Amino acid sequence: MPLPNNDDIVSLEVPPLERMAKVVRLATSAVASRAGLNLDQADDLNTALDEIFRLALHGDGAGRAFCIHYDIHPDRLEILTEGVCESFTDDSSKVSRYRNFIVEQVADRFEQRSNPDGGFDILLVKFASH
Amino acid sequence: MSRDEINSLFQTYKDNHDPAVKNVLVGAFMDLVHSLARRFANRGEPLDDLVQVASMGLLKAIDRFDPDRGIQFTTYAVPTIVGELRRYFRDRSSAIRLPRGLRERSYMLNSAIQRFSQENGRSPNVSEIAQITGITEEEVIEGLEGAEATTIASLDTTTDDGDLSLLDIIGGEDQTLSMLDERLSLAGAMSSLDSREQNLLYLRFVEGLSQTEIADKLNISQMHVSRLLRRTLQSLRQKLNNSSMEPFTS
Repeated sequence: MPLPNNDDIVSLEVPPLERMAKVVRLATSAVASRAGLNLDQADDLNTALDEIFRLALHGDGAGRAFCIHYDIHPDRLEILTEGVCESFTDDSSKVSRYRNFIVEQVADRFEQRSNPDGGFDILLVKFASH
Repeated sequence: MSRDEINSLFQTYKDNHDPAVKNVLVGAFMDLVHSLARRFANRGEPLDDLVQVASMGLLKAIDRFDPDRGIQFTTYAVPTIVGELRRYFRDRSSAIRLPRGLRERSYMLNSAIQRFSQENGRSPNVSEIAQITGITEEEVIEGLEGAEATTIASLDTTTDDGDLSLLDIIGGEDQTLSMLDERLSLAGAMSSLDSREQNLLYLRFVEGLSQTEIADKLNISQMHVSRLLRRTLQSLRQKLNNSSMEPFTS
């Protein structure tokens, strides 16, 4: 999924290790602050990313680096996670349904697309509102 | 005095800050002051002093309360009054001013977020918190995330600014199970959570309340809601992972 031509993009690549979850949270909180989101909105994104990160840790193909791109727009923050190993939506297991539901509830928009290099890209969008 | 009469007095006080109205309000809630002060009476301080401290909390709560928010005054006043009592004991327990550590910062952030949310009816952003507290945005984020790293509170522990157990506060009505189970299509997985955890998920994912709104409703801080929610989701996820790998059948 090509990234838009936007100067306000922050990219992060972390090893798929449990202890890196904190790094992802800190980075997300910092970028959300930069994007003007409030605490509730930032925490919603952290909730969603937590689910996606755990999928990267424990799903098929676990071991690949976890890549996140934060794209800051005047009215929203878009977060793209690249090449997550498993489909987020196609699995009908209980865990998948739970995960799907949680992310749909906390993100204003949520899309999944195939990554040409394997796995799936997941896009989360959160609109800033005051 | 009825709730409508109390609300009317608060509206009047909000409009004109008449000291006579304030005196009536103070008189109406002195029982609450005495009740909360008595909870701290076994810590070696005279009850009269505690009542005086609690009264200061009541005065602050009356000045800051907005009757248009639609919440009861006692919901707002209890953490304010108990916060004054706890600060009183904290200030008296150490003659040495501690350096500002992460724990103190977390406490300060907690208070600032709660106050902002109550006064403005919405959750603040990091920039606003930094302005209120006088620390940098980076320090705010560190403080918020640092608080998350501490041991997640059990539902048996007391609330942030009060002396009430969370078990007393988070609703016990079992309205959540079937609705949330249906929404999540978890076929009974929710039953493995206790009723308080179910209620928390219900408020967030069925009623769609924000964490700030849940905090207001349950009389705890937004940071506490965040920690409890994360713990509950982790617990549910773990139970789902452990229970089965088979597809759900509706």
